[in-house]
Amino acid sequence: MMPEPIRDIVIVGGGTAGWMTAAALAKVIGTHNRSITLVESEEIGTVGVGEATIPPIKQFNEMLGIHEDEFVREMNATFKLGIEFVDWRKPGSRYFHPFGSYGAAVKGGVTFTNYWLRWMQSGGDPDCSHFSAEAEAARHGKFGRTSSGDAQLPRVNYAYHFDAATYAAYLRRYSERRGVVRREGRVVDFEQNGETGYLEAVTLADGSRIAGDFFVDCSGFRGLLIEGAFKAGFDDWSKWLPNNRAAAVPCETVEEPTPFTRTTAREAGWQWHIPLQHRTGNGYVFCDAYISEDEAMRLLLERLDGKPLADPKILRFTAGKRRLGWVKNCIAVGLSSGFLEPLESTSIHLIHVAILKLLHMFPHRQVNPVIVDQFNREMDGNYDHIRNFLIAHYKVTERADTPFWQYCREMSIPDALADKLSLFRERGEMYIAPDELFKETSWFAILYGQGLTPQSYHPIADALSDDELQLTMARIRDAIKRRAESLPSHGEFIQHCCAARQTVTA
Amino acid sequence: MKRRVEQVVVVGADAPVWMTAAAIYSSFGRGVRLRVVELPSHLRPVDVYSTLPPLAGLHNRLGLDEALLFSVCKAVPVAGQRFSNWSGAGAPFIRGHDDSPPVGGGDLSFSQLWIKGRQQGLRTAFENFSPGAMAAKAGRVPIPTERAELRSAYGYGLDAAAYTALLKHFVTGGGVESKSATIADVERDGDFISAIVLADGERIEADLFVDASGPQAVLIGRMPGTEFESWREWLPCDRMLLASGNALRPYPGFSQISAFGQGWVGLFPLQDRTAIAAVFDSREISAKDLLDKLPVLAGLPIAGEAVVSNLAPGIRQRTWVGNCVAVGESAFSLDPLDAAQLHIAHTCISHLMTLFPVEAAAFPEAELYDEIIRRTAVNLRDFQAAHYKLNRRFDDPLWDRCRDTAAPQTLQRKLDIFAARGRIPLYDDETFQEHDWESLFIGHGLIPQSYDPRVDAVSDQDQIAAVNRRLQDIVELVGAMPTIDQFLSCSPAPELTEVAHDA
Repeated sequence: MMPEPIRDIVIVGGGTAGWMTAAALAKVIGTHNRSITLVESEEIGTVGVGEATIPPIKQFNEMLGIHEDEFVREMNATFKLGIEFVDWRKPGSRYFHPFGSYGAAVKGGVTFTNYWLRWMQSGGDPDCSHFSAEAEAARHGKFGRTSSGDAQLPRVNYAYHFDAATYAAYLRRYSERRGVVRREGRVVDFEQNGETGYLEAVTLADGSRIAGDFFVDCSGFRGLLIEGAFKAGFDDWSKWLPNNRAAAVPCETVEEPTPFTRTTAREAGWQWHIPLQHRTGNGYVFCDAYISEDEAMRLLLERLDGKPLADPKILRFTAGKRRLGWVKNCIAVGLSSGFLEPLESTSIHLIHVAILKLLHMFPHRQVNPVIVDQFNREMDGNYDHIRNFLIAHYKVTERADTPFWQYCREMSIPDALADKLSLFRERGEMYIAPDELFKETSWFAILYGQGLTPQSYHPIADALSDDELQLTMARIRDAIKRRAESLPSHGEFIQHCCAARQTVTA
Repeated sequence: MKRRVEQVVVVGADAPVWMTAAAIYSSFGRGVRLRVVELPSHLRPVDVYSTLPPLAGLHNRLGLDEALLFSVCKAVPVAGQRFSNWSGAGAPFIRGHDDSPPVGGGDLSFSQLWIKGRQQGLRTAFENFSPGAMAAKAGRVPIPTERAELRSAYGYGLDAAAYTALLKHFVTGGGVESKSATIADVERDGDFISAIVLADGERIEADLFVDASGPQAVLIGRMPGTEFESWREWLPCDRMLLASGNALRPYPGFSQISAFGQGWVGLFPLQDRTAIAAVFDSREISAKDLLDKLPVLAGLPIAGEAVVSNLAPGIRQRTWVGNCVAVGESAFSLDPLDAAQLHIAHTCISHLMTLFPVEAAAFPEAELYDEIIRRTAVNLRDFQAAHYKLNRRFDDPLWDRCRDTAAPQTLQRKLDIFAARGRIPLYDDETFQEHDWESLFIGHGLIPQSYDPRVDAVSDQDQIAAVNRRLQDIVELVGAMPTIDQFLSCSPAPELTEVAHDA
């Protein structure tokens, strides 16, 4: 007997996760043979802290067929080349985590950073950001699109800063045009099949019932279905990532928007600075054991570079992951599947990954448990890698100036991370599994930037003669410089290609 | 009616012509009538002469105070040359300017103990047993020592224009006639020059014509049987790009000779600048492309102009024909490696002084001079060719070619015997002695497979003690040497006028 296809998909919750899921399903799976219904309530606010993104967002937009200029214009977006970390290694320090790789491939050799370490140890400039096209462009406030045809110069990788609420609204229009049905209402109950335990319907506050054969839980932290119906469980990671609050406030833009996110380490956490075209997003991510909400809000307001445009909002969360992100015919996407602080802008990415995996493994009505296991294993891997990467920011630092940072320095860390750090300390290397999001460049940028200088490098990097090494470094450095010089300023680029329409108030 | 050689004309330019004149003048004084025809100089401010320690002997003979070289020619004493990148990513090595072969007991060379020691697990590099290399590494200046087996010396880089001016001042101050001119004609009578005619019409007759005009060979090149034999097969570089960078401080104790894909770059420390010479094969890279890379290869920004000149290593079939004798690069020319350039003039001058002709009509010395010069030149060429032959830079076409080209037979013999048992068969008229060759070969990675059987007669204990003692002695010796700065501040410059003395 042919397995039966899924006919009715129900997405519970709007917001970024809900509408990204709806848009992707509508585009890829379509609404001609099945229905896609999204239930959301205007009473429930969306979190929308994820205003900064990482490069895979471009593939998501491409998949949906959204034109970049239009996207940037509509979202009041700016471009992002990476993240500047201020005061993280110690007060007064700065480093840059660029998108894209350092240097260039050395023919027949090992990863560029090994050659760079050799070069640096023999007297080269210890600031590795000069070997990143993104960091170099960021330093000069430049941005532009680069084409692959220009093989002489390095490409520049980027993502965006954008207004997440606008993104959700945009994707809602996109989805509805493709046949997604939006239902206004608060989900108050659900029905499960007594025999199989499969979800069969959700009930709204007004009593209406929405039946489906596949459910996507985008209900946020509380996990209305995944936890409410299936008791999937939650792994609490706050011993490694103690931050559990964020105070967020937009402020006026006082300078040309930087083509990068800035994150500044603070006494009990860190502060983000995300430039949009029309305003700047700010937030203080902290742990309430070390600073009160009121104090955090006060400090945040005090440290803004422009006039606040609203009262600060407090968001409360716990770092961790839903033990199972897919149970029977219900899959959690977004905050319902777990939460990791936005230090490396991974929230939207984790939504994207879950959606891609869902599409890749899209089930039949009778969900094959092998698929479910595979999905959960893969998502666990994604969460674990990102978690470990985030922990490294706190663990590897010279800061011990406040109880918060003392705690971070002293805390125990997962074994997999300890192994990574030890290998990196000894020879600057990283073994990255193919599905890990953060590659060698990212680990190198963070660990080296946080003050962990490898004692050595891969032995194969010694196979290059010194003149070749010097010439290689000079050639790459020069290409990166020329690349950065070739780009217009970030502001100019936006102005020419994708400036948001000015709102005129009468 | 035998007539002694009374009239001597030296023709040439730059340091070689004045070195020659100074040597003749200081050796024979008023016994000969010496005239100098100074050809137009090609020297530019970037030019440098890198010298070997024996040049000090010439300066001594001339009574030229070395302190002047340090103050006027901005010289920095260097106890060795550091070779890097010649074996790709292999370790660099320093060939120290050691004076005397290190003794290993009896008439065994110390290298024999090292070879055996290495087979038994000794990990100390050969250069650590060279006082010159260790002084160079420590930035110190060798000074005389009682211990003959630990003697080393220094060479230096000289600002070429200043050195030339200093020698000229010395020679002309002594009353030697000189004239700046170019040669319009050479009047020949068979194998003899009867006169040279200058561009202004002056006709100069002499008993002996010394050609110190360098590769132009304005006199010897017109003599019969002096065809030029090229050695490019083994010394492939045909261009030199000269430039300057800022002085390196503290002064390095060595010249740096670094190979790169298409040649090598030399850094020669001077007090007021660093002379940079990039010697390359024009078939592999253009001067313009090289100039772009030069700051990176040299590790220094280039200040001011860069000048390209041609190189053509090789030798004239005859270097003394009739009454015309070639001195310096008019006789043979080499790669600028191993501070060869001035050494060529120096060695020719030394032999000319020893064989200075007695009689103006017949020159029985000519054949002997010719043989000695050829042997000297071939030995020097082999020393340089060994650098190229022993390179271990793979996949650079130039360097692959150098390895694949058969070495001159004279060199191959040295390589073979050294590879077999660490012995250097020296020929007649060698500039470089056994220990120089040893450090060259070992530095380039040619490690002998075996050693002199007599080493086994030395007990292991004695052998280890000898090795350790030498290391210890050198450390102590080098520790007692002045730093380059101390050395330079202890050599106060005499007044320049003092050198203009009468012999």
